[in-house]
Amino acid sequence: MAPESEKQGTEAQVPVGTGASEAGSGFESDGARVVDADAGDGRGSAGPWAIAWRRLRRNKVALFSLFVFFVILICCLLAPVWANQVAHTGPNTTHTLEKLHEGSEVKEVVEPSGKAIGPQWFAAGGRFFLGADGHLGRDEMVRLLYGGRSSLFIGIVAALITTLLAVTLGLLSGYYGGFTDTFISRIMDVIWSFPVVLLGIALGIALAVGGLEIGPIHLKSSSLWIPTLIIGVVYTPYMARPLRGEVLAFREKEFIEAAIAQGASDRRIMFLELLPNLLSTIIVFFTLNIANNMLLEATLSYLGAGVQPPSSSWGTMISEGFDALYSQPILTIIPGTAILLTVLSVNVFGDGLRDALDPKSKVRFEARAGTAAEMDNPI
Amino acid sequence: MKKLPFFLLVAALAAVLAVGLAACGGGSSTSSPSTSEGGSAESESEGGGGEAEGNEGGTLKGAYTSFPDYMDPQISYTAEGWTAMRPVYIPLLTYKHASGEEGAEIIPGLAKELPKVTNGGKTYTLFLREGLKYSNGEPIKAGDFKYAVERAFLTNSGGSPFYTDIVGAEKFSETKKGGISGIKVNEKTGEIVISLEHPRGTFENELALMFVAPIPQKTPDSDQSAHPIPASGPYYLTKSEPGRGWEYERNPYWAKDNGKQMTEIPSGHVDKIEIEVLRNQSTQVNDVESGKLNWIFDPPPTDRYQEVKEKFEGTQFRTEPTISTYYFWMNQTQEPFNNQKVREAVNYAVDPAALERIYTGQIVGTQQILPPGMPGYEKLELFPHNVKKAKELIAESGIKDKEVTVWTDSESPNNDAGTYYQGVLNEIGLKAELKILNPDNYFTVIGNTSTPNLDTGFADWFEDYPHPNDFLFLLNGENIQSTNNQNFSQTNNPELNKKIDRLAEEQLGPQQEKEYAALDKAFMEEGSWAPYGTRTLALFVSENINLENVIWNPTFETELTSLEFTE
Repeated sequence: MAPESEKQGTEAQVPVGTGASEAGSGFESDGARVVDADAGDGRGSAGPWAIAWRRLRRNKVALFSLFVFFVILICCLLAPVWANQVAHTGPNTTHTLEKLHEGSEVKEVVEPSGKAIGPQWFAAGGRFFLGADGHLGRDEMVRLLYGGRSSLFIGIVAALITTLLAVTLGLLSGYYGGFTDTFISRIMDVIWSFPVVLLGIALGIALAVGGLEIGPIHLKSSSLWIPTLIIGVVYTPYMARPLRGEVLAFREKEFIEAAIAQGASDRRIMFLELLPNLLSTIIVFFTLNIANNMLLEATLSYLGAGVQPPSSSWGTMISEGFDALYSQPILTIIPGTAILLTVLSVNVFGDGLRDALDPKSKVRFEARAGTAAEMDNPI
Repeated sequence: MKKLPFFLLVAALAAVLAVGLAACGGGSSTSSPSTSEGGSAESESEGGGGEAEGNEGGTLKGAYTSFPDYMDPQISYTAEGWTAMRPVYIPLLTYKHASGEEGAEIIPGLAKELPKVTNGGKTYTLFLREGLKYSNGEPIKAGDFKYAVERAFLTNSGGSPFYTDIVGAEKFSETKKGGISGIKVNEKTGEIVISLEHPRGTFENELALMFVAPIPQKTPDSDQSAHPIPASGPYYLTKSEPGRGWEYERNPYWAKDNGKQMTEIPSGHVDKIEIEVLRNQSTQVNDVESGKLNWIFDPPPTDRYQEVKEKFEGTQFRTEPTISTYYFWMNQTQEPFNNQKVREAVNYAVDPAALERIYTGQIVGTQQILPPGMPGYEKLELFPHNVKKAKELIAESGIKDKEVTVWTDSESPNNDAGTYYQGVLNEIGLKAELKILNPDNYFTVIGNTSTPNLDTGFADWFEDYPHPNDFLFLLNGENIQSTNNQNFSQTNNPELNKKIDRLAEEQLGPQQEKEYAALDKAFMEEGSWAPYGTRTLALFVSENINLENVIWNPTFETELTSLEFTE
């Protein structure tokens, strides 16, 4: 699965299993067709992406996971709709003294003892669907949806940042080698040498008070971009190193030599020859990184180094719910379950994607060329 | 040659075992439950294990949610610090170790008797008891008191304003050189003569505060929280690890020397006290219930409060009223709170009833500086909750969408109070951002006037002594300091400053109480603070602690010397 903990080696830890430690990739840039049962009629006319798509289509579990993820994503994107049309409140609006009228029954949103109202489902027209969150009486469902937006934003955007940085650094480092490779690799080593969570906490706390000011860029401490940038940067080495390894392998291939011989510039070679061959790895890494990022964000927010209160994310909601763990464990269970479902769906889909793009499964099948055997997952 | 690899394997296994044992050892929070032990109060018994013999002896295990601001008598200005250091540092005068009103009575500490006041209230003469020693065996000298007062100024202590009326103190406060000329000592006789610029009605109270507890003159004039200063009281600090905890043992010179003279000060029942910082308040409650901890400083968290109260009230739990004010300060030196209409708007918008709910009934709503129970208190109702009125005042002020930073600490429910307050400010038309800090250094940060965006935030104040000046001095502009500042609002009204100064000189009587009440009203009309409640605290101890005998002092809260194991 995705690399959850800290450094445990180099390319051997690559979750993709795309053979970054071995030469070659499943997708030759010369567009060579391969014999593959997924190609359809066995006479090998489909392109590699079509083959991958067909493999993925057959993986019902992965597709279902993708569906679950999209459902969660859409629900979170529709948070303002729920907040305005159903709950009639905002994510940070307190209702400490408010009373809820459900037919003839009147309930206090927050009792004098401090206990908040539990899930009302649709008894109050959708208000406090999942109850209220402790002494402040904020609508838990609204906070869950808005919190999901924060968590997903951070998860996806941080993955984009990681991808951008890792691809750039991996390409430069692997292609040029020499001093460039040494310089970039040492920087990656420094970042990699810190346990991810500790590094994230240190940076998060340092920036939580004063925000971030670099030149014209000024980010407030409450900005979501701060945890996003932190997470995006700390995970960069975990993607850059495997990509560098693949680039090193590709650099020795004939098609690169041919491109050099034809006078192609370094930039063209890196982005038009090498990059397409890395796409499968990048896509899988990107997907799995989303899950990692969401978990790290939850950890940092729980510890006060991520999303700053009163803004909600699933991590801050777990932290807030922890204060009421004995009297209202549901306040911790709800966001925890949301994280579980999202991370699980992303990870399962990512695994399916990796299997679809995994050249090992193609190579193994080629050993039994001519048969119409089922594709085995080599991992 | 074949034996070598085997030998290496054995060595490797032994190393792994040693590391594993070392990792599993230590950590007071996981050590065996504390038990009372045999031995008299004068013996230095070991902690843990053994059978109890009477109520004396044993190791008391306690917990705080946060480390005190300082473990330094001259600098600490929180209830956390004072409770912790109460049995360690004794001033010349001290407060009686008793509950309720009796606990506010001043008795001689290191001084033989109460001071002789002459020269129209401007000269205080005391005599140091003879033969007193610190926990390291050094004799306690009269000059140590003078050094303590000077050190309060050298360290920019938040309590130093109490002593600026001493002749030469103001100059010393500015120059930090030359000593304080108004304190004269005679080491041979132990005489200490303090001369004031003008009479000060609260000076005896202030002599009984820990800020001026004598300490060895070689103590550096910097924060010694990690390097415990030798003690004059029944216990001394054997260890202090900021952020983690501290420990006490009996002062070996207390029974032999100091305690024999200061008979009104209890010697304590336990032999050792171990306090750890345990951030999770629910875990604290669990540990007390299971007996892992014997006492916790903070009341149970709001989430568990009712449950603990219902289950243990009368046996292990009791509530204790305090003379305190919880409030939101507003920095009057910068926008928007330099505008009186904005401050009034905040007072109208903050609803003490909502905050009572947030504190699960542990505060009683109030909207004035002086709390109930304080001389000079007269109930005010200047700002009945009215959000509409608040918005109107904001509109009249001309302030719109101004960004402000709300500060609070992370201790529950102060963090919720801060979140609520931020929502209120946003509701009335400001743009509030919340900053939550670790309680270990919250007051240090907001007490530093150079901290950026110091707009508004949470604070609380508990009585130091039963005199209204103790609260109103917080609003005296002359007491604003660059660090360890207690006037967080940086209120500075020269006319009201003069009234505070004048009243502080006079002995407290009915006329003065009326004037203090009028001052309270005057500051509230200015909207200097947005007070919201007076706190009720709680005492929660383990089953083997004698709850009935635990003393709750109005200033120092739990008297650690009163904690004893049951038979």
